[in-house]
Amino acid sequence: MLALWRVIREADPALTLVGEWQSPARRELGAVREVTMTESIALVAQKLTKSYGQVRALRGVDLKVRRGEIFGFLGPNGAGKTTTIRCLLDLIRPDGGTVRVLGIDPQADPVAVRARVGYLPGELNLESNLKVEGALRYFNDLRGNNTDWSFVRQLAERLELDLTMPIRNLSKGNKQKIGVVQALMPHPELLLLDEPTAGLDPLMQQEVYRLLREAQADGATVFFSSHIISEVEALAERVAIIREGVIVEEAEPSQLVSMAMRHLWVRFKKVVDPTPLAAVKGITLLSQSKDTGVHLQVEGEMDGLIKALAAFPVRDFEIERPSLEEIFLAYYKAGAKEEN
Amino acid sequence: MFAEFKHTLRRLRGQMTGWGIGLALYGLMMVSLFDSIVSIEGFEELIASYPPELLAFFGDMMAITTPKGYIDIYYFNYMTVIVGIFVVGASASLLLGDEEKGILDLVMAHPISRTALFLGRWLGFVAATAVILLVGWLSWFIPSGSSGMGLTWIEFLRPFLPLFAVLLLFGTLALLLSMLMPSARVAGMVTGGFLVADYLLMGLSNTNQDIKSIVKFTPLYYYQGGAAITELNWEWLAGLLAVSAVLALLAWWRFQRRDIRVGGEGGWRWPFFSSFRRV
Repeated sequence: MLALWRVIREADPALTLVGEWQSPARRELGAVREVTMTESIALVAQKLTKSYGQVRALRGVDLKVRRGEIFGFLGPNGAGKTTTIRCLLDLIRPDGGTVRVLGIDPQADPVAVRARVGYLPGELNLESNLKVEGALRYFNDLRGNNTDWSFVRQLAERLELDLTMPIRNLSKGNKQKIGVVQALMPHPELLLLDEPTAGLDPLMQQEVYRLLREAQADGATVFFSSHIISEVEALAERVAIIREGVIVEEAEPSQLVSMAMRHLWVRFKKVVDPTPLAAVKGITLLSQSKDTGVHLQVEGEMDGLIKALAAFPVRDFEIERPSLEEIFLAYYKAGAKEEN
Repeated sequence: MFAEFKHTLRRLRGQMTGWGIGLALYGLMMVSLFDSIVSIEGFEELIASYPPELLAFFGDMMAITTPKGYIDIYYFNYMTVIVGIFVVGASASLLLGDEEKGILDLVMAHPISRTALFLGRWLGFVAATAVILLVGWLSWFIPSGSSGMGLTWIEFLRPFLPLFAVLLLFGTLALLLSMLMPSARVAGMVTGGFLVADYLLMGLSNTNQDIKSIVKFTPLYYYQGGAAITELNWEWLAGLLAVSAVLALLAWWRFQRRDIRVGGEGGWRWPFFSSFRRV
């Protein structure tokens, strides 16, 4: 056992046994390593638990988001997305587990965390008796009045938001724009966005995507929750799926899509026997039309199918993208199998 | 903290204006009526003919023809309940109102500590109450020169101090209850009910000695009203302010430990036990 420890120690001199004495030089090396780790991680949650009475909202969330990445957080309603985000800002206190945001414990120093974070809540509510500019100036006051107001005007212009309008007269989409502006206006290091494009029309959604990519280019980390798979695919570099308060998967968006079942329609130049296609792993033949078409269900990678199709005279080929529900279903089925 | 203080005052400006105008008009009217009322022939006999229970309820009704008695009975006797409507309503929803509307979630995501948010709002509420009472004082003092009341500015000011202190106590109680009860509405109703009950008990205690032993444990017992015009009871005033400070401290303590809801009214909790569970 000791021999093994020596081998491990030679590979990584900063490692120590619990309670072991460390020389100052080694302590320094360990501290440097910790700082380097902290610098590369924007937020980390470990074994995060939270219950509301009898309801266990989070059952041990483990999450790690690297600095500078755009991270998507997916899950159905009630899965624990909002609860996780609100724990990160110390709006609610977890029952157990640890959280570090930009290297800071939000419970120990919430103000330091919030000073470096821009937040957009999932259910945005604003004081209806204020005008748009009044609300933004209030948020600016809370941040110590250090916002570049020309940047606020620029954001408002890009999102077609009239700063002179009373909030009570605004539609849900326009209120959402205020939420986006207030989150972006302090140039935060980390953006925590709970469904950032909810209520926005497709053009404005695209503008928000552009703004978030620009924030990322300026060095910000973006952590957002969403229900829209196309949004996650368009924006996120990595994605986590939360199910019943537990992270069930962390992957790239394309991996998620490939895991789900997809439907495929193939039209051939002549009538063919599709049996070889159905024999490919993960392919199910759902139907064959009287003429030259087949309807297939694909589970997993497309590679085998594409290679098999190369032997057929293909005229046309159409894939139906999986919905978020189908992706969830894939994970839920996988989760249920594991539990069984 | 100053941002929240300023914001709270701005939000309360409508209520401050409304209550200020109301109190100013009432004060002006009562000052202008003083000379006419006290000069009504047989006015004291008329008062003396009232049922003794009614006379006892309002205190020393026979003193109504003196400036001190007039101000006490027509103003300070029931201003606790009248201005109490503002105080209890504003204070109960000072933090919880925004939480129920889902506004507090976003406010608290900004770099402001819970202590700064709490203090900014509470001090804003205290300042708003002080401004309303200041207008009330000016509405008596400024026109009094043209009446026969003959009181100085300090004599007019003295009874406003215990009024401010007792209102502060009920306001802070409403704030504390809003931290413990499911909604601002319930906290406001309970505090308002307690204020009205205390007012009625104080009146009834003038005719019933058993009630007098109970009211010693209620805030209005230590409220001087118009009696402070001649001599202010500093101990009672300090006591009321000290209780307010303790209530504010408890409310702050609860606010430090509570989960901020996204919106809507909450349910009953066991706050004192759950507070020890902070992670």
